[in-house]
Amino acid sequence: MNGETDITGADGVPDPVTADLRLSVNGVPRPVTVDTRETLLDTLREHLGLTGAKKGCDHGQCGACTVLVDGRRALSCLTLTVTADDVEIVTVEGLADGDALHPLQAAFIENDALQCGYCTPGQLCSAAGALAEAADGWPSAVTPDLSAPPRLDETEIRERMSGNLCRCGAYPGIVAAVGQVAR
Amino acid sequence: MTEELDAGLVAGRIAESDQMSEPSAEREMGRARRRKEDARLVTGRTMWTDNIQLPGMLYVAFLRSPMAHARITGVNVSAARSRPGVVAAYSGRDLAGEQGSLPCAWPVTEDIVIPDHPPMAVDEVRYPGEAVACVVATDRYRAADALEAIAVDYEPLDPVLDMTEALAEGAPKVHEAGNRAFTWKFAGGDIDAAFRDAPVVIDRTYVQQRLIPTAMEPRAVVATTDGDGFTLYSATQIPHVLRVMLAMTTGIPEHKLRVVAPDVGGGFGSKLQVTAEEVLALLLARRLGRPVKWTESRSEGNLTVHHGRDQLQRIAVAADRDGRIRGVRVELLADMGAYLMLVTPGVPLLGAFMYNGIYKMDAYDFTCTGVFTTKMPTDAYRGAGRPEATFAIERAVDELAHELGIDPVEVRRRNWITREEFPYTTIAGLTYDSGDYEAATEKALAMFGYDELRAEQADRRERRDPVQLGIGVSTYTEMCGLAPSRVLGSLSYGAGGWEHAAVRLLPTGKVEVVTGTSPHGQGHETAWSQIAADALGVPFEDVSVLHGDTSVAHRGMDTYGSRSLVVGGVAVLAACEKVKERARELAAHLMEASADDVEFDGGRFRVRGTDEGRTIQELALAAFAAHDLPGGFEPRLDAEATFDPDNFSFPHGTHLCAVEVDTETGRCAIRSYVAVDDVGSVVNPLIVEGQVHGGIAQGVGQALFEEAVHDADGNLVTTTMADYLIPSAADLPEFTTGRTETPATSNPLGVKGVGEAGTIASTPAVVNAITDALRPYGVRDVRMPCTPERIWRALAEAEAAVPGQAPATGPAPAAVPGFAPVPTHGSTPGAAPPPAPASEPIRGFVAPATSESAPEGGAR
Amino acid sequence: MTMDFLRPATWAEALEAKAERPGAVPVQGGTDVMVELNFDVRRPDALLDLNRVAALGEWSAEEDGRLRVGAGVTYARLIAELGDRLPGLAQAARTVGSPQIRNRGTVGGNLGAASPAGDGHPPLLAAGAEIEVESAARGVRMIPAEEFYLGVKRSALEPDELIRAFWTRPAGGPQYFSKVGTRNAMVIAVCSFALALHPAERRAGTGIGSAAPTPRRAVAAEEFLAAELDWDTGRLDPGLPRRFGELAAGAASPIDDVRGTAAYRRHAVAVLARRTLTWAWHDLWAAGPHEGPHDGPRGRVRRPGGPVAPGDPGDPEKPRREAG
Repeated sequence: MNGETDITGADGVPDPVTADLRLSVNGVPRPVTVDTRETLLDTLREHLGLTGAKKGCDHGQCGACTVLVDGRRALSCLTLTVTADDVEIVTVEGLADGDALHPLQAAFIENDALQCGYCTPGQLCSAAGALAEAADGWPSAVTPDLSAPPRLDETEIRERMSGNLCRCGAYPGIVAAVGQVAR
Repeated sequence: MTEELDAGLVAGRIAESDQMSEPSAEREMGRARRRKEDARLVTGRTMWTDNIQLPGMLYVAFLRSPMAHARITGVNVSAARSRPGVVAAYSGRDLAGEQGSLPCAWPVTEDIVIPDHPPMAVDEVRYPGEAVACVVATDRYRAADALEAIAVDYEPLDPVLDMTEALAEGAPKVHEAGNRAFTWKFAGGDIDAAFRDAPVVIDRTYVQQRLIPTAMEPRAVVATTDGDGFTLYSATQIPHVLRVMLAMTTGIPEHKLRVVAPDVGGGFGSKLQVTAEEVLALLLARRLGRPVKWTESRSEGNLTVHHGRDQLQRIAVAADRDGRIRGVRVELLADMGAYLMLVTPGVPLLGAFMYNGIYKMDAYDFTCTGVFTTKMPTDAYRGAGRPEATFAIERAVDELAHELGIDPVEVRRRNWITREEFPYTTIAGLTYDSGDYEAATEKALAMFGYDELRAEQADRRERRDPVQLGIGVSTYTEMCGLAPSRVLGSLSYGAGGWEHAAVRLLPTGKVEVVTGTSPHGQGHETAWSQIAADALGVPFEDVSVLHGDTSVAHRGMDTYGSRSLVVGGVAVLAACEKVKERARELAAHLMEASADDVEFDGGRFRVRGTDEGRTIQELALAAFAAHDLPGGFEPRLDAEATFDPDNFSFPHGTHLCAVEVDTETGRCAIRSYVAVDDVGSVVNPLIVEGQVHGGIAQGVGQALFEEAVHDADGNLVTTTMADYLIPSAADLPEFTTGRTETPATSNPLGVKGVGEAGTIASTPAVVNAITDALRPYGVRDVRMPCTPERIWRALAEAEAAVPGQAPATGPAPAAVPGFAPVPTHGSTPGAAPPPAPASEPIRGFVAPATSESAPEGGAR
Repeated sequence: MTMDFLRPATWAEALEAKAERPGAVPVQGGTDVMVELNFDVRRPDALLDLNRVAALGEWSAEEDGRLRVGAGVTYARLIAELGDRLPGLAQAARTVGSPQIRNRGTVGGNLGAASPAGDGHPPLLAAGAEIEVESAARGVRMIPAEEFYLGVKRSALEPDELIRAFWTRPAGGPQYFSKVGTRNAMVIAVCSFALALHPAERRAGTGIGSAAPTPRRAVAAEEFLAAELDWDTGRLDPGLPRRFGELAAGAASPIDDVRGTAAYRRHAVAVLARRTLTWAWHDLWAAGPHEGPHDGPRGRVRRPGGPVAPGDPGDPEKPRREAG
């Protein structure tokens, strides 16, 4: 591609380009200075002490880094922090209302929707996003009838949660938990 | 302090307390308690290794070999040292004097070849991704960026990729000593007699593809020192084993080394290892005197987390015409990869006693050769040896059923150990203590709707539906609960299999349970609390479980091999019993009664026949105050116990899978799945259910999606999660699960272990189902993973072998009876025949002579 | 190793920035570009963030009857807002990556990456879409989709140009997209196929994905359909879809890679082509003889080999009629 640095022959090492941003995370303004190359995931974890979102693959393939951006689920590992300065970011740390768990958090516990728990923050944010999408009438790849509001049955939930991998295989519990909150 | 308890003694005590107690509250055993672990996990307040930040921490990045096999002729790290933020950079040569060799704890034979295994390559790289240099910098980006300033000169050597070729005369060598690591043999009965004149012989070769365990949490290590002692935080399953092995390999004295497994995000065997990065992190912390951290990327992990499976299995089954199995012969080639890691050579041997499955037979013969290749070493992955064995025997038994025209369930019924025959000593020398294969199978068949599905299958075959239905059966057992130490010793394993627990009653009556197991998703905090609550009569909420830090839980053998409950959970029970005996002594003293007259009921000690009693909480405070204790009674209510069972445990079950296979695209979808497992007594059904679900998911992953693929140069091409596919929610059906319960007799809880059962059972169930769907087309095997392409290829190869059985294409004509050769539907003039697929031969054993008999009465 | 970050607020500024820094990599959802950055396979000296250019996120119905869809319209919005008018593209969009990817990813990004495996390409080819690109120096160029893809990850876009939108007619007949992958979700297609019937013109458009260095049309297969389909009575000779499939497969020039062999890809393209034609033709005639432009179905996505609904024998992916 034109203009790209030769990866093997970089000799001069200029200072990183940084940007001063004022992020809004979990309803709190968070001023931060970041390298322009930095992903939102790294900013959350390394600079803001919000370690709930996880780096599972760095590739947008596992969903462990899922957060909500303006209410929609997004992969923080594929989001440059510099593009996130004018949006509202919610992480798993911001789901609960004080000590009161978010209904999804409670449902995950009740339905044994996790084992090791590493993917869980991403699953929770993704589930919150999925419920909002369904409420807005968005169809999924398995929605049979595109003219009616989607009904979150098991097949729909499995498809809508398919961007979040769980190697422990806690999917039956996840599906049950999301279904419980959807009702 | 610590004393070995035998199972009988503990069992006796339980029986006694059961007799005496009339539980006033619901028993915890068997209760679906929500997990204690979950609250912190769902709120993101968990301590994963990568979350740890220490003052002055430095970050490590490794430069990894881009070649599978090469001589290192030079490494120059000096330019990297001058990069901004870089504190140090080292080559393998720089560390050669102190890095030692990574350990192998399972020398399975006297003459096994155990090559030196430097954590960082010095002279030669032998697998892609092997570390050749490292950079330590002030942040992880600078460390990663500086790697490109390191110059390495490689002189390429021939990769060694194929096990059969590796064993051939004149093959390129992975190590000077040759490519054969060991050959291990085992036999029972007269195998020649069993095969001599056998009316039916099924002889098959199966490929257990190489898998990448893919725990969601990538490995991470933090090492720190105060100048005297060292602390290593690692995403490991085995903090205790790791500490011992690191002390032996790094020269850091054991008492100066603390190992902590913080919250660990899944392991599945992959974190049952002493890794190069753990050793190197310690060495770097020692050299630099500062804390260092390393966290792998997913691609790094796919390359260098030990892989699983990778065996070539030839299995021959000799049987009578009525389906009775006379003998089983197994020849195994097991890919060790480039080095022998912690239990690499032992993994295939864990399957050696399992190829006879649940079946009775006259003779059994097993040979395994471990082979070096220029790939990442293999080691334990969920099931470790037993899924491979179960796959081979369950596939072969299905083939036998087909050969004889007998229903696959019926063939199993004719061969399995019946419920009256337990305890039963198998041809492989194991004594299965308990089980009821009839009950599990009957229950599974009923839940599955077996007869209805068979009817639908017949209908679809009749209609030549392009989407065919297949039904797969798998009746498995496994030896697990890894212990007993005596048996592990007889198999040349380097350590024992006991487990340890300590139980402490605190002054306020709360309880601390310290366990030597190291959970990473299994819910031990919950289950151990239930065991202790029942044993001590305290509320579930009043129990805390401490684990995973060698300075807190000072003895342990950690978590793998479905051993934690069966060994560690029983140790908790044993320690509770000891605490209770101390409490009884104190209660008797305080109530001026004989200890024999003091009975225990729901957390209260009472003088038999009176109302006078003391709660265990009151006794805890009394012991703490120490104002009035029996003579010689130390002021504490705590105890330790170590449990080492006499036998393995043997969970079993019947799994049934229905698949729909699109014979045109080769796409396979699981339609329904029923699992009935017998894991003995159940502490927490919620946790058992979760383990079964997860186990099935991973077994399905092997059957349908997963494979570590190397190119012709030996490079791993499945380095990302876009290339190495693990199942998502959308790829799995809802599982229908059920249980039967025959308690284990080898431990007082009657538990058998559940961590690996689903994985062991499900892979053959799925592949049997796919094969079953495609039998009318002449297909008798599909190599895993059964991707659309592999299924299509199997169909095309079968068609090429027996023309005329071509799959229907397009909507089928209404009435074509059976699968008699019919003209291909819609054979347009001038249409080219489909190209013959490139065959994917199984390299390995000489193709079996066609010793198979003609089926009697033809196919079903 | 540094990277400038350019954030134009308007389309004009974006074009200026691209003219000054032709090496700057445009980024919208980031779902393609960021993977390459994270994996260090690409190290641009500047990123051109187009998220602030509001115009890119808009779509409109133009005077010539076509839709003009901004390069920044996400897959999720495309499905929700344009699913009825662009059913083939919407079907493809619903199989792109994961829900998270669909919330951020755009057809514009797909075009910019020009990967042969991009799911958006075959429906654009089948529909006969045009790509609107623009540079500060030379203004607007309209590039037919089939001329846009030049090679593996190479497009007709000049270094100083940016993708503004794609233009396409609302479906005049049934459209289908189908793909084969190993897994159900987050799957990169082993191969894919898109078909659009254009009954008013008595012809069909096609698009093949993942089975050639570039997404491409199956021109001979299209010509075969134009000549052989019985547009008057709707009768479908059973041999016709098969022949169509073979011609479609003939248009592919696949390679062996980690996701599949060339032989399988060719075979699967034939199956997908045959099936999509059968479904589309069925839809077209299900409501009786054809009368004028058809309101295309919004398109249920069927996965090859998925469970078959009872009473739906014979054809594994025969789609249900959409309500309404």
